[in-house]
Amino acid sequence: MRWAWVVLGGVLLVAPLTFQDPFYGRMIALMLLWAVLASAWNIVGGYAGQVAIGHAVFFGVGAYVPLLVYTHWQGVPLLGIPVGIAVSVGIAVLVGVPTFRLLGHYFSMATIAVAELIRLLVTNWEFVGAARGLGGPGTGRTIWDLSYRSSIPYYYIFLAVFTLVLGFTYWMEQSRMGYYLRAIKAGQRAARSLGVSAPRYKLYAMIVSAAFTSLAGSLYAVMLGFVDPDSVFGIMVSVQMVIMAALGGAGTLIGPLVGAALLIALQTFANSLFGGQGNGLTFILYGGIIILLSRFEPGGLLEIWNHYLARKRRKEGTE
Amino acid sequence: MNSTILLKAHKVSKAFQGFLAVAGADLEISPGEIVGIIGPNGAGKSTFFNCLSGELAPTSGSVIFEGVDVTRKTPEEHARLGMGRTYQVPATFEDMTILDNVMVGAFLRHAHQANARQEAMRILEFTDLKAQADHRAKSLGTPGRKRLEIARALATRPRLLLLDEALSGLTPLEIQQAIALVREIHRTGVTLVIVEHIMEVVLTLAQRVIVFNHGEIIATGRPEEIANDTKVIGAYLGTGRRSRRSAAMSSLDGHGA
Repeated sequence: MRWAWVVLGGVLLVAPLTFQDPFYGRMIALMLLWAVLASAWNIVGGYAGQVAIGHAVFFGVGAYVPLLVYTHWQGVPLLGIPVGIAVSVGIAVLVGVPTFRLLGHYFSMATIAVAELIRLLVTNWEFVGAARGLGGPGTGRTIWDLSYRSSIPYYYIFLAVFTLVLGFTYWMEQSRMGYYLRAIKAGQRAARSLGVSAPRYKLYAMIVSAAFTSLAGSLYAVMLGFVDPDSVFGIMVSVQMVIMAALGGAGTLIGPLVGAALLIALQTFANSLFGGQGNGLTFILYGGIIILLSRFEPGGLLEIWNHYLARKRRKEGTE
Repeated sequence: MNSTILLKAHKVSKAFQGFLAVAGADLEISPGEIVGIIGPNGAGKSTFFNCLSGELAPTSGSVIFEGVDVTRKTPEEHARLGMGRTYQVPATFEDMTILDNVMVGAFLRHAHQANARQEAMRILEFTDLKAQADHRAKSLGTPGRKRLEIARALATRPRLLLLDEALSGLTPLEIQQAIALVREIHRTGVTLVIVEHIMEVVLTLAQRVIVFNHGEIIATGRPEEIANDTKVIGAYLGTGRRSRRSAAMSSLDGHGA
């Protein structure tokens, strides 16, 4: 198992060398960005089984605050990152406390409602640029503006953050928190009878998840240098996080990376093949993935792979 | 605080939208007892049980555990204070391994994974589940699941263990094994409350039996007293049917007159 991690780490480190072309460089940077986002969602959605479909709120807040710092005070966008995280965590607590009383679909619907409400608020709020959105510094004033023409520096920034999320998730899996979250997912009533404070642990998961989502949002905004309400607060951001994690394998360590890499590749090629219509195609693809996953393998691709391995082992065992 | 009483339920009532499922039930349990709660289906024993374990908040009355008022405390606080329970329909964590199921319980008293695992393995050995430790819970049949639920609850180190129909749905042989396990647990110093609707099982295990009917405790006593109590026999064999029949007869008589 250990060699697999070494190989994965090596591949991720040298990937930019093989994808020198800006088109592919941007693609692999986005893959990692989405791997961070899907992994962040995975903590609360995959491990704790609380299918939140409103994480765009945290992504949006994270994306907006650094550019607000620049727009209003000409500050370095990076300074906005901790503020964005703090605001996102605040929202996670405010929204989490009441909505975590809801179970299953009712919880999901509540998170959608909150996210849409905040998107509308931002769209109509002049201070944050309303429907036009916000821009960042056009060209880097200092090195701290993190303004690069190439996508490769961003790739490595996202890789660092991805390592951080993965490291946290790995630690969590082995700790009381990981066991408790999985128990809550498997049966909240029984978990509570064993002393698991479900409200508290769900909130912990939501807070960590929101913080990482917000951090990714900030870095995305710094890379793009521009945000508007629909592209960062839109429901597609939330849905995409869920679908990527679920496609790879919700509640697994590496599933979100697998899902993100696959979907970003598909999206990129759909866009380049069909131009503007590629977006519509992506939505159709998402619909198809949701139907296939829920019908055949809710565990995602990693679960299919595990079944395959188990079958192979059994066959070898009988021979 | 009275140290000779482990659990005290005082005039516990629970109403569901006007339907009184439990009506003013009193119960005192001393440390080291095995108390059986029996009664026909729908008698209110499971509702009473859920009021004791914190799953349901009583409409009125109070529950005191080791001197602490737990009437309105959450299920997790009950567990922390030393009350464990199982479910009538086993609620094992299906996709987790049997070891992990028990570790969830063990994490209540152990912060570190290694300690929790050690404790869980000890309990799996005690409950005879060690051989299947790495299998997923869903690979177990009903008796295995009931056993796993008991193991998981034991991992929280309860002083009082509440078993909700842990023996129903088992074959006679499995019942014998389960009874042996319950006796083992009792020997380690755990006080037990057993809810069953099969009277025979409780009568062999419990030192004291409480009989529920229509939400009320109709009898309390030693198993042999309960077995011969006419009210209890009536509740089980259905004086209800007899009285309905006599009511029908008397109404016929009325018409005849």
